[in-house]
Amino acid sequence: MGYERINFEADSGRAVDDEKLQRALVNVTNRFRSARQKASSEVPGWDELRTLGREIKKETIENLDRYLLMLEENVMKAGGQVHWARDGEEACAIIIEIARKNGVKSAVKSKSMATEEVELNAALEKAGIRAVETDLGEYIIQLAGEHPSHIIAPAVHKTKDDISRLFSEKLGIPYLSEPEELTKVARERMRSEFLSAGMGISGANFAVAETGTIVIVENEGNARLTTTVPRIHVALAGIEKIIPRYNDLSVFLTLLARSATGQKSSTYVSFITGPRRKTDKDGPEEFHLVLLDNGRSGILANEQTRESLYCIRCGACLNNCPVYRKVGGHSYGWVYSGPIGAIINPQLLGIDKAPELPFASSLCGACRDVCPVKIDFPRVLLELRHEVKESKAEKGKGMELLIERLSFRLWRTIVTHEKLYGTFSTLMYYLQKPFRGKGGNLGSLPYPFSRWTRDRDFPAIARTPFRERWKKLEKEIGQGGAGKGIR
Amino acid sequence: MKDSREEILRKVKLGLYGDPKHKDGDISSRDSGRDFAKEAEELLRDRIIIADKLLEQFIKELLNVNTGVREAHGKEELRDFITGLVHENGVSSFVMWESESLNSLGLKELLKGEGLRQIISNDKNEIAEAGIGITGADYAIADTGTLVLLTDESKPRSVSLLPPIHLAIVRKSDIMTDISELFIILKQRLDTGQSVPSCMTFVTGPSRTADIELNLTLGVHGPKELHVIITE
Repeated sequence: MGYERINFEADSGRAVDDEKLQRALVNVTNRFRSARQKASSEVPGWDELRTLGREIKKETIENLDRYLLMLEENVMKAGGQVHWARDGEEACAIIIEIARKNGVKSAVKSKSMATEEVELNAALEKAGIRAVETDLGEYIIQLAGEHPSHIIAPAVHKTKDDISRLFSEKLGIPYLSEPEELTKVARERMRSEFLSAGMGISGANFAVAETGTIVIVENEGNARLTTTVPRIHVALAGIEKIIPRYNDLSVFLTLLARSATGQKSSTYVSFITGPRRKTDKDGPEEFHLVLLDNGRSGILANEQTRESLYCIRCGACLNNCPVYRKVGGHSYGWVYSGPIGAIINPQLLGIDKAPELPFASSLCGACRDVCPVKIDFPRVLLELRHEVKESKAEKGKGMELLIERLSFRLWRTIVTHEKLYGTFSTLMYYLQKPFRGKGGNLGSLPYPFSRWTRDRDFPAIARTPFRERWKKLEKEIGQGGAGKGIR
Repeated sequence: MKDSREEILRKVKLGLYGDPKHKDGDISSRDSGRDFAKEAEELLRDRIIIADKLLEQFIKELLNVNTGVREAHGKEELRDFITGLVHENGVSSFVMWESESLNSLGLKELLKGEGLRQIISNDKNEIAEAGIGITGADYAIADTGTLVLLTDESKPRSVSLLPPIHLAIVRKSDIMTDISELFIILKQRLDTGQSVPSCMTFVTGPSRTADIELNLTLGVHGPKELHVIITE
């Protein structure tokens, strides 16, 4: 699929200027953050649980070939069919083929990042198959013709007023201002879709190799409807979604709900093993699992960034990221946003398609600290930055790279020699004078530093360096030393 | 599509071992041989709830997730709760699991006696028309206020899903401490040769969404109300 190059700089600039979006981002990320904080602190051994989650994922990914075969075997044993898709196009083609074979004209979909990734809706539409998103947030996004801006709260960038207008305009109903009323309209509209759809399409939060079970976590019940009511159920899952054993779910379900929304358990968790049994009274007659590679095996091949595949898509890294909290999901240019988007978008799309994303981070590590499987985001980001700098596109900028390299080498020499550093900072103190703005900060610097001051001030260098002040303070306080005196 | 399968497996092996011809037999080096399930159990078991606090904890969690809960001491009270519930909500029809434990409670006769129509059809449209869906629960989890429903021929999925009200009758003895205890039992079932059900569902409260400015709204797709009656 011909994805455009992601333009993080331009898109995030617009997002920062969007006041409505800024309010929405503060609101949602704060709520999710405090909920996660509370829910995780209730579990003694939360940190050990995260470690365990990480280790299980690590072992699974490192034996992925074996577990994929085990999963395939057990899905088939349960009467399901397994399909393999190298890329998004193939995944769409497989699903369209299943639909055609069964004369399906309309399909209901429950929330799935993988189907967003392969742009399934557009492909189905092209093939003449109606696809209705049934998660309320996704439904809103689909009506608006937009993309999700948060992994678990796709319509977070839309205000109540936006949604009221959208419903009124697209559904031809009066303006409804209450969320309850809007939700009721969605319920009624979608009930009839569920009852008439020939096919239900879902993602999968986990796929259990040992039993061939697909696990879907949700709050609304639309995934239950999607996987229960239509005659055919198709689940699309990335090959990294596997967990080895049934029991491992107690670890991951505890981690996922608490990390994502701060719930102790999501409202509904469905564990689906094959189609309905002969004696069952309901459930789909056919179950298809489509296993999607789409660049994942490429991530696997890079030992330095392989842990990107441990992600269980909880969204905690988004809510806790100072960058995501300002720029929102759409700035990341593709389905995955926030720190996880910054590491997997460049790897799945190709580093030349998203060269800015590994730099869209302050490397503060807040993402790593909340990640339920302890992905070491800063380390992976640094590795990807290195790859960007080594990539062909960057090599083209020979002169710029050379200057950058020399500057950093010079900087390294300065900061590792105390005397030199002292002289340098004194020199800078005098050199900065013409650039000092009203607040005393440096508001506008010449190239290349103008790239910093274009968007924010640079703090001015103090007359008395910290080292000097510290020495003075130590003397004043006396024998104990400054460090001991300050409490 | 056979080619895709081979190609993906080849790429996975190439990525992991640097060798696409890697045989399944020689991967043990990457397998730690650790018993993760056991470790998880021990870790999660730190939170063990004292037996007589189980019920208290379960009720507390149910209330936390907007669920109505009553404790029925004896059949008489159970019947009173149920008739009360259906009349308060103006329910005129019901659909119900055909499980033995539910049948033994005589609820069908009770509700029919109260003038309610039972929907026996397996048709999704008709089940969706029922005013209330009544199920048991194979297990319940005190730690999270969760009902565990296992699908089989007498326990269809739609009953707890399509009607606007879901009532679950839970036996006290089926309440587990937490999810790890549940999975130990499920694993035992597996090890003794019982097959995994086509569908297992965890239900924790009524259907909810917060997709409109994070306003909590109940009943977006599944039942708007969930009621639990705990029996001896």
